[in-house]
Amino acid sequence: MTAEVQNHLDTSRELLCVRELSLEYLRRNPFAAVRIETAALRDVSFDLRTGETLALVGPSGSGKSSLARCLVLLERPSTGRILYGGQDILTLSPDALKAVRKEIHLVFQDSASALNPRRTVEQLVAEPLVIHDAASGARKIKERVAEVLDQVELGNSWRCHRPRELSGGQRQRVAIARALVLRPKLLILDEALSSLDLSAQAQIANLLLDLQERHSLAYVYVTHDVRMAGCLAHEVALLDAGRIVYRGLPAEVLTPNLQPVS
Amino acid sequence: MVRVARRILHGLLLLLGVSTLSFVLVSAAPGNFFDELKLNPQISASTVASLKMAYGIDKPWPVRYERWLRSALRGEFGYSLSYRCPVGTLLWPRAQNTLLLTSLATLLAWMIAVPWGILEALNRGKWLDRIGGGVTAIFLAIPELVLGLLFLLLAARTGWFPTGGMFSSHGAEAALLGKLPDLGIHLVLPVVALVFGAAPLLIRYVRSAVAAVLDAPFIEAARGHGLSTTRIVYRHALPAAANSLISLLGFSIGALLSTSLIIEVVLDWPGLGPLVLESLLARDTYVVMAVVMLSSVFLVTGNLLADLLLYASDPRIRTV
Repeated sequence: MTAEVQNHLDTSRELLCVRELSLEYLRRNPFAAVRIETAALRDVSFDLRTGETLALVGPSGSGKSSLARCLVLLERPSTGRILYGGQDILTLSPDALKAVRKEIHLVFQDSASALNPRRTVEQLVAEPLVIHDAASGARKIKERVAEVLDQVELGNSWRCHRPRELSGGQRQRVAIARALVLRPKLLILDEALSSLDLSAQAQIANLLLDLQERHSLAYVYVTHDVRMAGCLAHEVALLDAGRIVYRGLPAEVLTPNLQPVS
Repeated sequence: MVRVARRILHGLLLLLGVSTLSFVLVSAAPGNFFDELKLNPQISASTVASLKMAYGIDKPWPVRYERWLRSALRGEFGYSLSYRCPVGTLLWPRAQNTLLLTSLATLLAWMIAVPWGILEALNRGKWLDRIGGGVTAIFLAIPELVLGLLFLLLAARTGWFPTGGMFSSHGAEAALLGKLPDLGIHLVLPVVALVFGAAPLLIRYVRSAVAAVLDAPFIEAARGHGLSTTRIVYRHALPAAANSLISLLGFSIGALLSTSLIIEVVLDWPGLGPLVLESLLARDTYVVMAVVMLSSVFLVTGNLLADLLLYASDPRIRTV
């Protein structure tokens, strides 16, 4: 049995398998003709099943956001594999990759800047449908947008507003609606709740749990907030200096007062 | 519509302010057109005084300003003491020549700057950006006067291009269509000199405006959907960077009359440049005033156009 087949058998039950992922940023020293390599991720491996949440917890600079960006291919990892549905997305053809991109979406921390300020809520939510040619005709697009705005509990009356006319919580709902509109299987939530106040955090967290239950969504929840990680995640991975230093159930990883174990 | 009317009214008030201030400053400058005549022993002091009276130079500035304002409203802009004709008749043909030159140069400079700036922004830190940055830095450091002299030298040494004027002696007599190739060859050097002067600054602006937008998270989000670089640039980055570029375009339009004065003098283009220089040296006040006012009209109009373009292109401005 070849290693590839073995690997496929091992990962067939998982939606996402990350294997020995490393990422190095190269920067030039302006005073010397040398390139400096900064390791953002080192041999990161984890699995995620459909309908489950993996929280990546760690301090600033631990590589959480770099990992999130790698998962949606905004960064190209130096080494390693990202297996989605059993296929390595790093080796896919552009057409095959486009199909995968429909199923994986990143929700950014700062929705105020992650949403194009010139567009209306309706245009923003409809954009992925247009990019991926996933709905034919303006009427079908409008219907899908209305449906998904309803799912994120943002009234249809907001569809003509622009991001700056919305509250932080409403903007994050738009960002989630934008991610949901293509009926994805996996959402990467990069500090998606961090910029919100407590009440908005609770509302969006409940919304995420509800959406997960209804659509069997899998989440990679990147956060430094261990409390929220404990509430949302089925599994928690602690990141430090680009490595996963501990992985386990929230109860194992977090102490009773919701702090990571040392 | 109300917004446009309000902006036009603001522009008119601004032009009135500019004209008053310019007139006061020009009047306050020591000396006038007739001072040179005083040095001539054959002309008596009483003749000079009567000439001043005849042209109204002896009147206080508010009276002269009021007369000039009436004349400007008729399109005459006062009377040129050097050329002995209304300034308007002197100005319009030369302004047309200047506009022909600068419009062409501005259009070419933008046509070069936008794709070049985008290309540099997309390749930040790479060799293309570095070479582009070095080339634009060199041209930014060269004064327009030096550029003009270099091109004049090129024309004189090679004989490939005429060293000045708008038509050659045989070309000026030809029919309109026959004039065009002659006009074209005369335009080459001044246009190229102006493009070399203007494009580097525009390239820098376009590069920084597009580069700032390319770092925005909403562009990252678009990239995350797998959009091609071309679509990201044209559908997301350029519209977002357009505001600062439209404002810059307004300034480009506003500077159409004043941007080429030095090049026109050096390369002997029969536009406003040589006229302004001669009038300044001769203290022909009304010609200078007319050119200042015409430049101000262009600046105000350029800004108004930029405002209207911003209004049309950015939906956020429409909802304010």
